Amino acid sequence: MQRPKPLPTEVLSDLAVSAATKLQRLRHLGRYFKQSSKAMEQQVSRDARFYGSLIRLQQNWKVKRQRVAAMGPGSEGFSFDLLDNSFVDLTALSRPSSISTVRVDHHYSGILSIQRPQKLCRFISLRFIGADPSCKQKSISRKKIYSLAEHHRAAKTEALTDEEVNECVKDTHSILCEIHQSTFEEQVFDMVNHETYNPLPGISVTGMREDFLQLAIGQETSVCLWLVPSGKEDGPQMVDPKGDSQNGESGLLNSDSMDLAIVGDDQHDFFKMNLSGMPNPVSLEIYLLFIFHENVLARARERRSCATRAQVPGEPADGSCGVLGHFCMTVAHRIFSNKVLSELESLVNGVPYLQLLSHPTWHSRTSSWSLFLKFPQSVLHAGRRSKISDNHHLKHGMRSQFHTKVVVKDDQINVSGEGAPSIICSFRGSSDDICSLNSFGCDLEDLPMILLQQVASQVIRWLHEEALVVGMKASRDFLCLYFGLDHGDTLGLVAHVDPDDVNGCISWWVVMDDGSAEGKNLTYYGESESRRFLGHLSLEALYATVMDLASLCSIGGIH
Amino acid sequence: MSSRGQTTSLQRLHLVEKRIVRVVELAGSVMDELANSTGPRKDILTNHCREFMQSIKDIQTTLREEIKSACEYRPFEKCDYNARISNEICCKKLEYIIEQLDGMQQSIVQCKDGL
Repeated sequence: MQRPKPLPTEVLSDLAVSAATKLQRLRHLGRYFKQSSKAMEQQVSRDARFYGSLIRLQQNWKVKRQRVAAMGPGSEGFSFDLLDNSFVDLTALSRPSSISTVRVDHHYSGILSIQRPQKLCRFISLRFIGADPSCKQKSISRKKIYSLAEHHRAAKTEALTDEEVNECVKDTHSILCEIHQSTFEEQVFDMVNHETYNPLPGISVTGMREDFLQLAIGQETSVCLWLVPSGKEDGPQMVDPKGDSQNGESGLLNSDSMDLAIVGDDQHDFFKMNLSGMPNPVSLEIYLLFIFHENVLARARERRSCATRAQVPGEPADGSCGVLGHFCMTVAHRIFSNKVLSELESLVNGVPYLQLLSHPTWHSRTSSWSLFLKFPQSVLHAGRRSKISDNHHLKHGMRSQFHTKVVVKDDQINVSGEGAPSIICSFRGSSDDICSLNSFGCDLEDLPMILLQQVASQVIRWLHEEALVVGMKASRDFLCLYFGLDHGDTLGLVAHVDPDDVNGCISWWVVMDDGSAEGKNLTYYGESESRRFLGHLSLEALYATVMDLASLCSIGGIH
Repeated sequence: MSSRGQTTSLQRLHLVEKRIVRVVELAGSVMDELANSTGPRKDILTNHCREFMQSIKDIQTTLREEIKSACEYRPFEKCDYNARISNEICCKKLEYIIEQLDGMQQSIVQCKDGL
């Protein structure tokens, strides 16, 4: 028996049902596709955010990738590698830096962020012990790692603007800069430690901890280096000057800046120690970083150019004393040259017509100044110029300016003057000019006296020349100018130099005598009939005095 | 590849992704249209399908070009970390000098005021 033939209505209803089912499925499929496209769109924008940020950061930082599935969700194994391999080879690192690889987090919202290292970033800092901590000039601005805003951004889901993504990338970049810089400064600290293993002349290690190093330079100065985490820039609280009676716990020093501290020799007075003459510790920090970096670059260049040479890691390539030795000598030089400068400044304060010029030497262990003296142009000199022969000019080297140069190399002072008659010449009694450069070394204690004598003798020389121009019969000694009077008498104009005189360092006396008076005895004997104190005269006043004396002498019938 | 080229390439690939999303969306619209109770509208269907095929073709062309022109990525070729450190040190020097100059300027102003 066959199946009954379906009625037309049944066929139609079957068709209707299957059509409806098909439509249903098509609708379902349509919904599926639409939902997929929406989800894909969101995923695409999230990925674009992440990889866009990664590409921007990749322009400056090395990116590594580990395709490890076990990294966990939301992370493709990217990381930033902050270690420079060429650098690592050259520096014999005793401690491997634990923060040189920074992991990248890929948040659900597409934001790229980095896992901050566990340890705080540490930086080098220099300080003088005994100084008021608030005095330290915080000139190196550190970008702060602590940006809480970043967390908020990462927590937000979809409503992220381009601005916010941009801010995130910038923040990440500055954090990486900070970590990178800190890695370098820790390496420099290691290199400094490494250099102390070799014996250095004049430098000894008086304290050492994991993040602290104390060096004694010569007899008088001590230098401390610390590693300080960022955010604690005022430096460690060095309560105990003797340094390490406590256990080497960083609790004593709240911060680990690589602080350079200079300790005076006298432990009792260190709080009262006058630290105004000390060089700025910040500049020394920068210099330390600079020279060690230059050293590494130089060694890298050397290695590239001579590949066959056997490398001895850690051996300093420059100079006989190494980089650290050079640095310590620079510190010592700076302290010494500050002392020299204060002497020169007090001198120049005491002599109104003297100017102090400083000259750049472009070498960290050399300083140079000059004392500059300009003589006023004399009216007679201008008028009489034509009457004086050229020979006279050349022979006597008439000058209107006079320089004394003071050069300090390490702790050696060298004074040189132009055409200044030396003390030796004065003993010979010769009044001939010496136009050649005349230089000698001296000590810090003798410096003011020597310079004042140079200046005074130059003034005498100038007055002598001016006196000759007007036709006076004049002769000079080292610090005295003698005018010949009638009857064989001489009138002497004598310079007296005293660096400690508060009214002025060079004062003048008129002496009526037989010409044997020396400047030294004048103040002892005081004023008398034959000696008059003129005071601290300016150059114009001296010139006028000499001209007055000229008229006095000419009455007596000279010429 | 210069940085500008990289950005443009990235933008192109981003466009490809957007097109793929659009393509899937179109497929969904076509299905919806087919499931229309009054019957599919032929013109809408043809438009969608044309756009679909065109997008697929564009995607294919762009991907082919990008894959051909993608250069070999050599990692860490010119590491500039040393230059970065040098620059940081220079910045420190400049900041320090600027501070000193500011101090000098202040002194001069004070002297002038004192006069």
